[in-house]
Amino acid sequence: MSRFEVIFTFIQYEIKRAIARKKVLALVAFTILLGIVPYYALSAAGSTLIPSNIYPYIWVVGVFSVGPLFLNFTAILIAAGAMAEEYEQGTAELLLSKPIRRSDYFIGKFLGGYTLFLFILALNIFLSVVSAFTFFGVQSNLHIIPGLFLAQAFSSLVFYSLAFMLGELIRRSSLAYIFSSAIFFSSFIISTFMGLIYTLTENELYKTIQIYLPTSPANSLPIQYALPNLPQSITNFAGFINTATPVPTIELSILILLTYTLITIAIAAIYFLRADISRKQN
Amino acid sequence: MAATISTNSSAIIEFNQAIKDYGSNKKIGPVNLKIKKGEVVGFLGPNGSGKTTCIRLILGLIKATSGTVKINGFNPISNHVEALRNVAYSPELPNIQTFLSPREFLNLISHELPYFNDNTIRQNEINKILELVGLREYSDVKVGKLSKGMVQRLSVAQALIGSPKTLILDEPMIGLDPAGTAHFRKVFRNFASKDHGTVFMSSHVMSEVESLCTSVAIIHRGTILFQGTVAEVTKKVLNYSLIQLETSPLTPKTIQKLTKIKEIISIDPTLNKPKNNQKTTMEITLNEKDVDIRPLISDIIVKSGAKLYTIKQNENMLERAYIEALKEKDGGQH
Repeated sequence: MSRFEVIFTFIQYEIKRAIARKKVLALVAFTILLGIVPYYALSAAGSTLIPSNIYPYIWVVGVFSVGPLFLNFTAILIAAGAMAEEYEQGTAELLLSKPIRRSDYFIGKFLGGYTLFLFILALNIFLSVVSAFTFFGVQSNLHIIPGLFLAQAFSSLVFYSLAFMLGELIRRSSLAYIFSSAIFFSSFIISTFMGLIYTLTENELYKTIQIYLPTSPANSLPIQYALPNLPQSITNFAGFINTATPVPTIELSILILLTYTLITIAIAAIYFLRADISRKQN
Repeated sequence: MAATISTNSSAIIEFNQAIKDYGSNKKIGPVNLKIKKGEVVGFLGPNGSGKTTCIRLILGLIKATSGTVKINGFNPISNHVEALRNVAYSPELPNIQTFLSPREFLNLISHELPYFNDNTIRQNEINKILELVGLREYSDVKVGKLSKGMVQRLSVAQALIGSPKTLILDEPMIGLDPAGTAHFRKVFRNFASKDHGTVFMSSHVMSEVESLCTSVAIIHRGTILFQGTVAEVTKKVLNYSLIQLETSPLTPKTIQKLTKIKEIISIDPTLNKPKNNQKTTMEITLNEKDVDIRPLISDIIVKSGAKLYTIKQNENMLERAYIEALKEKDGGQH
């Protein structure tokens, strides 16, 4: 078997393992719910409340409303258990006693979980478009979907990597999930406060802190990508599509996200390659 | 203590002053041990003595704090793939992914091994192994629904896949029924004799080790106490030998005659109680290890008019040696 085949085996294994843990099925169920219910609710509220010029772009409502919270949580939930659950269940030991490189196992587990996340993300976008089409007719500017998909996927990678790293360092899936979520929430709240204080004081320090908190580029990037392709009417309608993103440029968002992601992956990899493989945690 | 099982050939497994220190007074070593190709070594020791830690060091799952551990001449941490090529491990009470069936699990394991490039060959191998361990009819049942014994069979199955040359077994018979134990004993014996494989097996069942292994190593509190062939170890630890008899009830006069033989230290009198008024078993302790006075004893018994059914010398001595060795080390606590 080549290294690629071994990694591919672990990608498949990780997907199967995560699905068997049932939580992914729950996430898929939520994704379906979130992809359909908002459109049904908007439609039921009465089409007269929604300006007709919004109709062709209403698919972005579903995409952007779930992005900041649900998708990042999904990424955290999948990644926190990817390594940790193998230690908790004692299954890592047997897999790593075979003549394989630890790095192949690590890459396979990382990519396997991430593939699963990408599936949920794709399902979310797909359902948003289909629901928008069903309730509000033909949709426009769908050509930006591939790019938007990549922007969302890249944005969530920072919290996926963080939870993956904590899962490996702590080796307890529930703790890794709690810590990752705490970091996510703290970043979100602090970012909001920093923005508020900056508005009041115009002190650049608060603005700088806000920019470099991980939630800022994560929330900014998909909007920064999509905005040039969306009419102002839809951003006015959907207030959560914040046109004044905390991070000023798309390049800076990518750079900050990339830095956080690479640092967390590097820490997880170095630790995993050097540390003992712990036995079943009781 | 240098614990070299074999020195006249290149070692498959080699510990050289290996220490694993977990901190908080939990430490094993320094361990020195060499196991050469084709040996079947029983690795004995009480719970917590360091057997599993040694096995995990061999497999590169944990890193020695100091000293070296090598398998196939390679460091299992820095050269994991080369070191563990043709090496298979079956853990004690394994934690196997409950959502997989035995076939799926063996497929996963086979994809980790460098030997199968053809899927047909892989599936044939999996079928062969499932048949060998008696899991063919459970091949598609989820592991979570299998009994403990069946999971243990699967643990051995995943170790045998890909025709390894070295087997590392941690309590391989645990959870198995007597038929399963006998079957696996045969499987391991064939592996050692027909395939000239090397086996390193930890176990608490002395009879199993005595019947299977060519050598033993006894570990206690993280250090190797004794090593060598079963005969060498028992000889080193025990300074006496035993004769077990099965006879018709003996008269006091016959017993007295036996006690007059100078090599005899004692005759266990509690065992001279007839079963069904037909047979009695006795144990005679001799003061010398290598002397064989069975002809003399049988002569006395037969001449006394009693019937002699069996007379055996030094059976199950490994268990006695093991207990004695630990007792000596712990000041009689075992």
